[in-house]
Amino acid sequence: MKKPVYLILFLFTIIIVLSLVQVGLSNKISTAGAQLTQLEKSLISYQKENIVLQEQFLEASSFTNLSKKAKKLGFVEAKSQVYLNTPLPLALKQ
Amino acid sequence: MTWRYRFVLFFFVFLFLAVIGRLFYWQVVRAQELAALGQAQYGKQIKLTPQRGEILTSDGFAIGANKLSYLVFANPKEVKDAKKQSEILSPFLTIESSTISALLERDKFWVPLKSRVDRKAKEKIESLHLPGIGFEEQAVRFYPEASTGAKILGFVGKDDVGEDKGYFGLEGYYDRQLRGKSGVAVQIHDALGQPILAKMNDRVNKVDGRDLILHVDRTIQFMLDAELKKGIEEYGAVSGMAAVMDPKTGGILALSSFPTYDPRSYQDFSDKLYKNPFISDAYEPGSTFKPLVMAAALDANLVRPDTPCSICAGPVAIGGYTIKTWNDEYQANLTMTDVIQHSDNTGMVFISQRLGLNRMMSYIKDFGIGEMTGIDLQGEVAPAIRPKEDWYPIDLATASFGQGITVTPIELLTAFSAIANGGKRMEPHVVAAIQTPEGDKIPIQPVQLGQPISSKTARIMTEMMVNAVDKGEAKWAKPKGYRIAGKTGTAQIPVEGHYDATKTIASFIGFAPADDPKFLMVVIIDRPSSSIYGAETAAPLFFRAAKNIFTYYGIAPTESN
Repeated sequence: MKKPVYLILFLFTIIIVLSLVQVGLSNKISTAGAQLTQLEKSLISYQKENIVLQEQFLEASSFTNLSKKAKKLGFVEAKSQVYLNTPLPLALKQ
Repeated sequence: MTWRYRFVLFFFVFLFLAVIGRLFYWQVVRAQELAALGQAQYGKQIKLTPQRGEILTSDGFAIGANKLSYLVFANPKEVKDAKKQSEILSPFLTIESSTISALLERDKFWVPLKSRVDRKAKEKIESLHLPGIGFEEQAVRFYPEASTGAKILGFVGKDDVGEDKGYFGLEGYYDRQLRGKSGVAVQIHDALGQPILAKMNDRVNKVDGRDLILHVDRTIQFMLDAELKKGIEEYGAVSGMAAVMDPKTGGILALSSFPTYDPRSYQDFSDKLYKNPFISDAYEPGSTFKPLVMAAALDANLVRPDTPCSICAGPVAIGGYTIKTWNDEYQANLTMTDVIQHSDNTGMVFISQRLGLNRMMSYIKDFGIGEMTGIDLQGEVAPAIRPKEDWYPIDLATASFGQGITVTPIELLTAFSAIANGGKRMEPHVVAAIQTPEGDKIPIQPVQLGQPISSKTARIMTEMMVNAVDKGEAKWAKPKGYRIAGKTGTAQIPVEGHYDATKTIASFIGFAPADDPKFLMVVIIDRPSSSIYGAETAAPLFFRAAKNIFTYYGIAPTESN
């Protein structure tokens, strides 16, 4: 009747080992909450920074803003254009 | 003795059953209630607010975006000197100090002072370390180009429950795509308030709004706004509008209308300005309608470009009325090409008599007049055409030159896309594609609404319109070297049952380059005071804008001067 004893001992050992593993993992995960909060705060902070930077970029590159700056710097509208229509003296490979 | 054993046994069995029953009660019957109570104690429900989608022009610039702003609130119980604090806050919040003071003296724990305060003002107020003043973050809509394209964009206001909702334009039409879906997350916290990772569940993920990628070209839009504004001032007009379309796809490259409003502060403007008159207001198109009627007659093989007009020698009498030309000048045997060139009303009456009511109505409907175009902007209307039974001969005559019939500008523009696009009428669209938060683009394919005329008729009509621009009343303003197909319009405005000859809607519609159109544009000036004629107001404005578009697209002149 030795087999059942060894089987029981083996199963008991598995249970003890798995229980210890579960306790260890739960312990590790439970303190990860602080890290998670930190990561969430960083994420929110970067997202806000992105929104602020995008706002600044859009304001700076809007045509409304650029045309005002151009006028201030003395740029004027081009009144006429010259188009160079004469064909170049080159042989083009078709 | 046996009964004692039995009694004790039954007693213990009874106790056992009582405990089981009580456990059943708490763990099954009251389970949900207790779970919710527990969650409320150590769980926290967080609303995940989605980001509203952006509206991007064809170059990827966000003309409708989001930015952070703040609601400034106060706890009057913590404010020590309300009068002094209100005087400090007044310049930052741009509210009268007496108003702020009244709020700070209220017997409440929380009062809002001002919403939508920008980041810079918030940082300045924060640096003052005023007691009892706090800030709540708000996401607000941001339009970096101010009122440019306001009529296309619309604005974001609030609905009945205080949630953001788009009104008018794209914000209204695509509100459901733009707003996304909010989510909820339940976080379980420990005694120190930190989340327990293993216990985070019950999450309904938020879905951010989708972005809209437009056909609108920011450069053309900006230029058109500037030219239209300048033109309205120069010609002393009440209002004006203009739009540019790619006739091959129906894509709207620009749409402008004045007076307008700033969508960033829409509440400061009259609500009459919110609607887009280009799609919501009807008018009598006048002579700009003539090419559609002429194209119908050409397509039905009733006339050719050189067909002589047999009734153009003088005014035409119809049903007690007399139809005259705009300048009271007449020429016998005028050709159809000359009818368009001189914008001759009697020649158009000749056309309408050849077409007859049934055929004219049929072609008008094929051109989409009296029907919604399906443009993706909120607020489109389509005035119905009177039923055939209500038409008299004079109505047929006047409709041939665009009076006594009403259209919206978008209807006219869409109808003309057929002439510019080989006879094919295209559905107008502002949005070219929708982009998901993951970056996938869903293109909106061009839609052909119909083919009212053949490609041959379209080519003939194009040449007649090129001739009209080269030799007509507006030829002085045309940019040299370009083949532009177009037509002027000077429509009298009906006032209390009669037409006022001094008040007109001056317009010009055209496309270029005529042989391979890159754009189709209409300009409408309401009641210009410097001159009532389209050839002297709308046409020069059109040509100035067209010249800018030629430069922008790098389209060189094709004809020698």
